Amino acid sequence: MSTDHRSGGGCCPPMDLMRSEPMQLVQAIIPIESSHQTVSYLGDLGLIQFKDLNADKSPFQRTYANQIKRCGEMARKLRFFRDQMTKASVFPSALTVAHPNVNFDDLEAKLCELETELLEVNSNNGKLQRTYSELLEYVLVLQKAGEFFYTAQDSATAQHRQNEENIYSDGSIEKPLLDQEMFIDHSKQVKLGFVSGLVPKGKSMAFERILFRATRGNMFLKQAAVEDLVTDPVSGEEVAMIVFVVFYSGERAKTKILKICDAFGANRYPFTEDVGRQKQMIDEVSGKIKELKVTIDAGLQHRDNLLKTISCQFEQWNLLVRKEKSVYHTLNMLSLDVSKKCLVAEGWSPISASTQVQNVLQKAAKDSNSQVGSIFQVLNTNAPPPTYFQTNKFTSAFQEIVDAYGVARYQEANPGVFTIVTFPFLFAVMFGDWGHGICLLLTTLYFIIREKKLSTQKLGDITEMIFGGRYVILMMAISSIYTGFIYNEFFSVPFELFGKSAYACSDSSCSDAYTEGLVKVRPAYSFGVDPEWHGSRSELPFLNSLKMKMSILLGVAQMNLGIILSYFNGSFFRNNLNIWYQFVPQLIFLNSLFGYLSLLIIVKWCTGSKADLYHVMIYMFLSPTDDLGENQLFDGQKNLQMVLLLLALVSVPWMLLPKPLILKKQHEERHQSQAYAMLQSSDDGALGIEPNHASNDHEEFEFSEIFVHQLIHTIEFVLGAVSNTASYLRLWALSLAHSELSTVFYEKVLILAWGYNNIIILAIGIVVFICATIGVLLVMETLSAFLHALRLHWVEFQNKFYEGDGYKFVPFSFALLTEEEE
Amino acid sequence: MAFWVTTLIFVLCGVIASLILRLFCNKGPSTNLLHFTLAMTATVCCWMMWAIVYLAQLNPLIVPILSEE
Repeated sequence: MSTDHRSGGGCCPPMDLMRSEPMQLVQAIIPIESSHQTVSYLGDLGLIQFKDLNADKSPFQRTYANQIKRCGEMARKLRFFRDQMTKASVFPSALTVAHPNVNFDDLEAKLCELETELLEVNSNNGKLQRTYSELLEYVLVLQKAGEFFYTAQDSATAQHRQNEENIYSDGSIEKPLLDQEMFIDHSKQVKLGFVSGLVPKGKSMAFERILFRATRGNMFLKQAAVEDLVTDPVSGEEVAMIVFVVFYSGERAKTKILKICDAFGANRYPFTEDVGRQKQMIDEVSGKIKELKVTIDAGLQHRDNLLKTISCQFEQWNLLVRKEKSVYHTLNMLSLDVSKKCLVAEGWSPISASTQVQNVLQKAAKDSNSQVGSIFQVLNTNAPPPTYFQTNKFTSAFQEIVDAYGVARYQEANPGVFTIVTFPFLFAVMFGDWGHGICLLLTTLYFIIREKKLSTQKLGDITEMIFGGRYVILMMAISSIYTGFIYNEFFSVPFELFGKSAYACSDSSCSDAYTEGLVKVRPAYSFGVDPEWHGSRSELPFLNSLKMKMSILLGVAQMNLGIILSYFNGSFFRNNLNIWYQFVPQLIFLNSLFGYLSLLIIVKWCTGSKADLYHVMIYMFLSPTDDLGENQLFDGQKNLQMVLLLLALVSVPWMLLPKPLILKKQHEERHQSQAYAMLQSSDDGALGIEPNHASNDHEEFEFSEIFVHQLIHTIEFVLGAVSNTASYLRLWALSLAHSELSTVFYEKVLILAWGYNNIIILAIGIVVFICATIGVLLVMETLSAFLHALRLHWVEFQNKFYEGDGYKFVPFSFALLTEEEE
Repeated sequence: MAFWVTTLIFVLCGVIASLILRLFCNKGPSTNLLHFTLAMTATVCCWMMWAIVYLAQLNPLIVPILSEE
């Protein structure tokens, strides 16, 4: 059934937040030269939701795809800057410095320039750093190797001679005739080559082993560990290194050793045997190291300066780029007119904002010096508009709770209005303890008082949620304090705040108090539960009965409110069918059964009768004509019950049958009248289009579908009446759980610890009590009661009237853009 | 008797709350109606809770039996 969104109106004066703001589909024809400016100003205004007129085009076919690519490039550069800044621990300053507006093209060029400069600086720094590390290693090699070189060389020579002797002594079969030829000439100095360098400590064992194998033992390796960690030039990491010197003889051994060094990543450095030269080299290298350090420091300083200049304007540039990107995305949604001289924009906008939008269009046309102004007009359409509620910081949290279930259909009654009061109230019924309520209040006051500061900060996930819901928690805390007074519980301890208790001992000796109980000597306690109940043996039977009946009464009240809201919906949309054949029978059915139960509860309380209400309700159905006997609460009860039963039985087919039949009749009437209209309009060609359009909407009418839909609706309501009413008993269940937990923590932790008369045990007891209260009662119970109150609203309250199949109004707005951070 | 007196007190509180809202947050007829609705809903909820607990204790069927301590 399509509803004309301008047909609303009706019985009551308009109320804020009750129904969506009236929306209209607007069209603006904007000349190309002022299009960018116009969209930019509209983004500032934030009151139009643009329709995508180019939905069938791919992202690359759109008009401004190029600009978006440019924006993407700039965003990438900005991200690179941000990474560099974080690495160098330079933080972008907040958006307080107001520089004059930077041009888009200028910004692009500047970002390019800065990026190349930064990359250059970084690569230079990298090179210098590598050279620096290498020089450091060289110094280490010179120093360490110098210590053990000569001893090593001697041992190496000795070993080499030894090896040669062995070879000669083992290998020769023929003994030379002359003895002196067998002797190796000791005076001839054996020329051993050596390789010196650094190898990572972890690989040194394997290094040694492979060298040994490759040279068949014909090498001598001397190592010395370096105490500090050394920065590896290639990887930049700090590794434990070992200085080594390998002595070898022969060219083949040399090549093998060099290859092995390369394989192990051991850096080789030249070493001279000459002591004088060694000292000279050490001094030279140390000098070079100092110079290099100065150069590197200067380089880093340059980079930091660069980053600092970037950081001053970073936030502003970031914002600008994001704004431009969104403006071009929006421009891509506008369709290009045939003449290619203007863009056509279509979008939803609140009717109340039309003057503002027109002013903005004019201003943009003027500012961009275009010769033609923009044209603004309202389009008529049957498409469903988005739903828009004007909320402030207080009501927005409650509206979000409702929207989480489903966004309201355009202009249907918004449960958010009543949720503002009933949600904290039902929470408090399950949480009633004014001590805990005060704790919640203090927590949320902290968030509210530091609102301005916290809203600009970046908070963690959970803190963000609590901050967002601070007003909801405030209402919940205030309601909990109220119900805490009513249940008379302060961390489960009752107080006599509102006059004296109604109960006292029957005589001065109080002998009966433990068997028969106290006696009611004064009128009922004026506000809340009498303090004498707490801790008594009959506390639970009394409180259970009280809380169960309270849950039923509150539940029936809220469900009736829901049904009455469906009446307001029906009268707003001028849907008489819904009023007479849905609202009325639903109201009658619910109240003749559960409204009557509520009445019985109240009468029983007022008269103090001992009637069994379960019995009364069940036998009202099983044997309505029987005499009530001792379950009679008032005269004429039997007849009243029979009438109510009859009303309930009648209301079921009243909900089921008339509406589909009447819809069918209406459809047939429309069809017939359309047939006549088409015959008439066959003379005027122009009008012939409209009836076709209308008939396309109504052609699909399946009676069986409508009937089944109504059947399901009826069954849901009838069965739901029982199950939803029983569902409200969770108010009793959670309130019982809360008070029992509170009692246990108080009595079994605090009082127990107090009883020992020991300060340490008392201190431990207090700590345990506080932790248990915060963890279980203030966090877990709060979440639990929040969840159940939410469920009661979403299901039991809203299924009486809420459709919730609309879509939310999301305008093109720069303010929303800054909220959705990367 | 006490029941009606206290009910009257609740009604008066509701009226005073509405007046205070009207005086300090006067933002146009539709907003005023919203404030009034909220104040009335709150008053009715609070009154219902109090009345239920009060009525339940008017003519109780059981009395507190102290437990051995």
